[in-house]
Amino acid sequence: MIIKCPYCGPRDVIEFIYQGDATRKRPEPASTDQAAWNAYVYDRTNTGGSHREFWLHGGGCRQHLVVTRDMSSHAISSVALARDVAASINDGGRA
Amino acid sequence: MAERQSPLGAFFVPGDHGNAAAGVGVTLRERKNLSIVQVTAWIDTIPAVLTAIGSATGLVLQNKPGLGRVAGEKSVFGFAPGRYFVVGATPDLELRLRSAISSDLGTMIDLTHGRTVIRIGGPGSEWVLSKLFAIDFSEHAFPIAYGRATLHHDIHANIQRIDDETFDIYVFRTFARSFWQTLGHAAAEVGYRVE
Amino acid sequence: MTGSRLSRGGRIDRSKSVRFSFDGKAYGGHQGDTLASALLANGITLFGRSFKYHRPRGVFAAGSDEPNALVTVMSGDVREPNMRATELEIYDGLVALSQNRFPSLEHDFMAANQLAGPLFSAGFYYKTFMGPAIGPFKNTAFWMFCEKFIRRAAGLGKAGTAPDPDRYERMNAFCDVLVVGSGPAGLIAAEAAATTGARVIIAEERPIAGGSLLASGELIDGRNPAVWAREKAAGLADLPNVRFLTRTSVWGYYDGNVLTAVERVSDFKPNRTKGQPRQRHWIIRAGKTILATGAFERPIVFPGNDCPGVMLADAVRRYATEYGVAAGNNVTLFTNNDSAYDAARALSLAGVNIAAIVDVRADVSGACRDIASVAGAELLLGHAVTGTHAGKALSSITVQHFNAGTGRVSGAPREIRTDCLGVSGGWSPAIHLASQAGGKPEWDEDLQAFLPPEPNQNWVTTGSAAGYMDTISVLSDAATKGSAKSRLVLPQVEAPMLDASPAPVFEIEPSVKSQKAFVDFQHDVTADDIRLAYREGFHSVEHLKRYTTLGMATDQGKTSNVPGLAIMADVRGISIPEAGTTRFRPPFTPVSLGVLAGERYGDLRPHRLTPMHDWHLANGAKTYEAGLWHRPMIYGSHGETVEQAYIREARAVRQSVGIVDVSTLGKIDIQGPDAAELLDRVYTNMFSTLPVGKARYGLMLREDGIAFDDGTTWRLGETQFLMTTTTANAGTVMQHLEYYLDCIWPDLRVHLTSVTDVWAGSAVSGPNARAVLEACVTGTKVDNMTLPFMGIVHGKIEGIPIMICRLSFSGELAYEVYCGAGFGTRVWEALLAAGKPFDIMPYGLEALGTLRIEKGHVTGAEIDGRTTAHDLHLDWMLSKKKPYIGSAMINREGLKDENRLTLVGLISMDNQSITGGSHIVTDPVPREPADSFGHVTAACYSPALGKYIALALVKHGTSMIGNRAFATDLLRDKHCAVEIVSHHMFDPEGSRMHG
Repeated sequence: MIIKCPYCGPRDVIEFIYQGDATRKRPEPASTDQAAWNAYVYDRTNTGGSHREFWLHGGGCRQHLVVTRDMSSHAISSVALARDVAASINDGGRA
Repeated sequence: MAERQSPLGAFFVPGDHGNAAAGVGVTLRERKNLSIVQVTAWIDTIPAVLTAIGSATGLVLQNKPGLGRVAGEKSVFGFAPGRYFVVGATPDLELRLRSAISSDLGTMIDLTHGRTVIRIGGPGSEWVLSKLFAIDFSEHAFPIAYGRATLHHDIHANIQRIDDETFDIYVFRTFARSFWQTLGHAAAEVGYRVE
Repeated sequence: MTGSRLSRGGRIDRSKSVRFSFDGKAYGGHQGDTLASALLANGITLFGRSFKYHRPRGVFAAGSDEPNALVTVMSGDVREPNMRATELEIYDGLVALSQNRFPSLEHDFMAANQLAGPLFSAGFYYKTFMGPAIGPFKNTAFWMFCEKFIRRAAGLGKAGTAPDPDRYERMNAFCDVLVVGSGPAGLIAAEAAATTGARVIIAEERPIAGGSLLASGELIDGRNPAVWAREKAAGLADLPNVRFLTRTSVWGYYDGNVLTAVERVSDFKPNRTKGQPRQRHWIIRAGKTILATGAFERPIVFPGNDCPGVMLADAVRRYATEYGVAAGNNVTLFTNNDSAYDAARALSLAGVNIAAIVDVRADVSGACRDIASVAGAELLLGHAVTGTHAGKALSSITVQHFNAGTGRVSGAPREIRTDCLGVSGGWSPAIHLASQAGGKPEWDEDLQAFLPPEPNQNWVTTGSAAGYMDTISVLSDAATKGSAKSRLVLPQVEAPMLDASPAPVFEIEPSVKSQKAFVDFQHDVTADDIRLAYREGFHSVEHLKRYTTLGMATDQGKTSNVPGLAIMADVRGISIPEAGTTRFRPPFTPVSLGVLAGERYGDLRPHRLTPMHDWHLANGAKTYEAGLWHRPMIYGSHGETVEQAYIREARAVRQSVGIVDVSTLGKIDIQGPDAAELLDRVYTNMFSTLPVGKARYGLMLREDGIAFDDGTTWRLGETQFLMTTTTANAGTVMQHLEYYLDCIWPDLRVHLTSVTDVWAGSAVSGPNARAVLEACVTGTKVDNMTLPFMGIVHGKIEGIPIMICRLSFSGELAYEVYCGAGFGTRVWEALLAAGKPFDIMPYGLEALGTLRIEKGHVTGAEIDGRTTAHDLHLDWMLSKKKPYIGSAMINREGLKDENRLTLVGLISMDNQSITGGSHIVTDPVPREPADSFGHVTAACYSPALGKYIALALVKHGTSMIGNRAFATDLLRDKHCAVEIVSHHMFDPEGSRMHG
């Protein structure tokens, strides 16, 4: 598998570390909502088709990436720096 | 002050090795007495940091992934967003950079002791490196002076292309001896000279 | 069958003879021969014994599709089994052995297995190895005894046990276009792609380019097609943008257009140059892949079709045209299509005598009739082969009338004397790689074959792999597929007009069966096995495959796949496309484990060495691996045991002073205006309040509240910290921090850098530690005022800049002295010199562990991914003033449960050593620890207490203190009476380290 790192370019999957589901949302740090924390830590859907996940380019630029990948065909439709994605979500939240 | 000890130790054996009878495919050497400073810009200060690196070293860079410059012993290259290795033979390199780059522009850390730099040169260098790293070493994909961050199994490496057939490989010091042996093993087929 | 060398022809170099041996007997061949062609030329018919029934088998094919002629190649004690004789190039000194025979190929006792046929029928693994479910042999030792023999009887070559001395390598390659195969399609597609300037890699499985052209009777531009191919290939190989790899089998097609291939660099050479690998594993990342993999001829299934002398028609042709070998003196052909006539033409041109052509079709074209007549072969139309007569070689075949429409055999059998039967049941495009890449192959009624699926990655198929069966259409297709922009002028082809469509006949099934009809030769699967599988309810092709093992042998069903499916479709009364086909899996051809290991063969992981490593070795250190690190275990003195050594070392630390290399601790440079904020969020305790120049012990949890890592973090400046982690967790802690900065808190301005390798660390511990530093450190005082517990100072040793932090893992007055890694040995030696008056003792991990066990300090053995801060008595580190990672979940019911295992100390009551991993039980009798209520995490002899002690995680640990129990370890035969005590076993007040 090849992941096109936005900084390093296309790289072999051996350079990447899977870091889990990128669709989950961490509750506010001070939140005491046990159900929300439980969902964040444990609940995962087994999505068919397109799914967003974190990959760390640990063997390259050491950036976390948000990879949108088809769970059936493994085709990757987009890759972005996680920082950019997180920043845009945070901005959206404030707006 | 005392000279820094090389991690290669007794495994650095000058001379010809491997299939050198059929010609020397690559030459390997350790670049010693370098200062290696890692500079990291904040995401919104990259152009300013590049200007500062330019004023401190004379090596001017544009903000483009992997871009680098080489001038004699001095070099600079990027290998992650806003992150650069600035390398030179002058011990005051860090001081000069520190005076040019304030903390609101970015951070820096002296990695001189933490990295070992191996230079591989010769017509077989692309072939030998391709045995170890899953990146494209052809010149159109990896132009001169550009930098790359990659790895060989557990060994992380930063690689800068010095010219058409020469590369500098920066490896973590504690892995350097193991990597050196692996590199020699890979180079045996084309014959190699250690100098 | 009695093969012989023809007086002319072939691409072998008749001027060069090669000597080799097969089953201990010496033979001669020529350079360019395969083991199969050379043995055939020597009149050898018998190549091996079959998998289950030990039936005599000869060579069947001429390439990678060979199911029968598998041999073991020996070099010294090293054996490589299951090598295809049809691909093995002979060289001087080659030693090959036949397989699966006992005691010899000629006389095989196991051939009696044929009599036990039903035992080995479809599903035999499932039926046999389960043993009888009822009856006298149910679960008996007798059955277990039999099973060993059955396992031995069924098999291919034996795996070797001698270490493989060969060198293997990996090669990473990148290209715009990868062309797999260099037959007419591959060559033209590659040329078309190369002329556009693309970077092209061509991978050819065989030693030379040409594919089908090497054995073709056609003319290309008026010339011999093999010569045309050779020149075309040479021209391509000369181009700067083309890499031409021969002897390179592409075996896997993975996601993202990543393909894997094995190049046989020097397998075929008697001697290798220095550093030359035997094989090279190519991992090719291709922009586009052109699969010009050709097609495999498939056999027709008929009774007695597995005896030596029955071969594929194209194989008979290739031995004659490529190797100058007549596979028989008197050849017959059996076909359902025209390609056998092309073979007949080539054979007769090569001087091979053809007795008859048996064709299932009632009529054939004039071109075919002409060929038969020119070859002097009797043409038997509307006939089929219904039996063979052979011992170790074919002597005759039986033919009968056959109706291709009804599939019915009729009429009186007629015997035809022949020593070689070439069979053609049509051609199957080699869709293996395309199938691996994904997608469902499509049935082509015309070709009676599966064509490649619609591409789901950037690949195309061309040539006969795409279903183009004549050279003219192959070439024009290949030029277009190579590049749409290509303006290649295609060569002129002169070829006989033959029809590629076979009659849909896959099996000849006479009403009276006297012989087995094999579908999968390598796994000994017969047509009746398929019918039995159907009767037993295994209808889907996937079930059929697994139940009968059809197509699961090392040849992956190259010759058996389509006939097997056709027979299944027939019994189910459905069409072949309705029955469907299985997906092919890597590898296309077998791959040696050595080449997969590549350069990591024999040395699986890199070694990570501290700056003082050479000193340790020179001073008697015995090292062991801790992750990738190689660390001193003890510094052995002569005649000392490991236990004696660590006791001596640990005692010296408590009594005077010791020194240990702590360079392996993970170290992360954390910088930026939000560095303190980050630490407050990831540590359970507060770091923003830590003054510059001080260190603090910190604990990290995972999100789920379980303890993750601990270590000290030092504040070097207002916005700069140096975090230390446990050696084992350095990488995961770094990832943990990076994850939160990148994904959760991108607004924090913090930069992280691993600086583990930058610093050499020496920990000086013991009552005299301060005196040692005072004797060598300049530029700073180290007294209690200047350097209090958890304080940091900067100074010099021998002019080398150092940083000292007063920390203690041993519980003694202790300092960690850090300097640039390149000066590590200098500083280490200077500390030793300064410590000489105090008999400073270098100590290893065993003593380090002993000192920490005495103190009850936790490491990875206790922070084991299951324990909480509470379990480890670290609740005092949990801040109540702020949230931190894990804070939201630590109060969950299960993590507060009274029954949780908690940390305690153990003291041996009977002066026996306690072993790590022992169960804690109350049962005084050593037996299965069913009532285990804990386990030992670490154990040692404590010189400070004069007893064997341990740390353990025990249920209700704290309330158990003062109780007695047993530490039981049945694996090591230990059962030790212990007293449960507080984990602070030595100096619980900590007066020594604060002193």
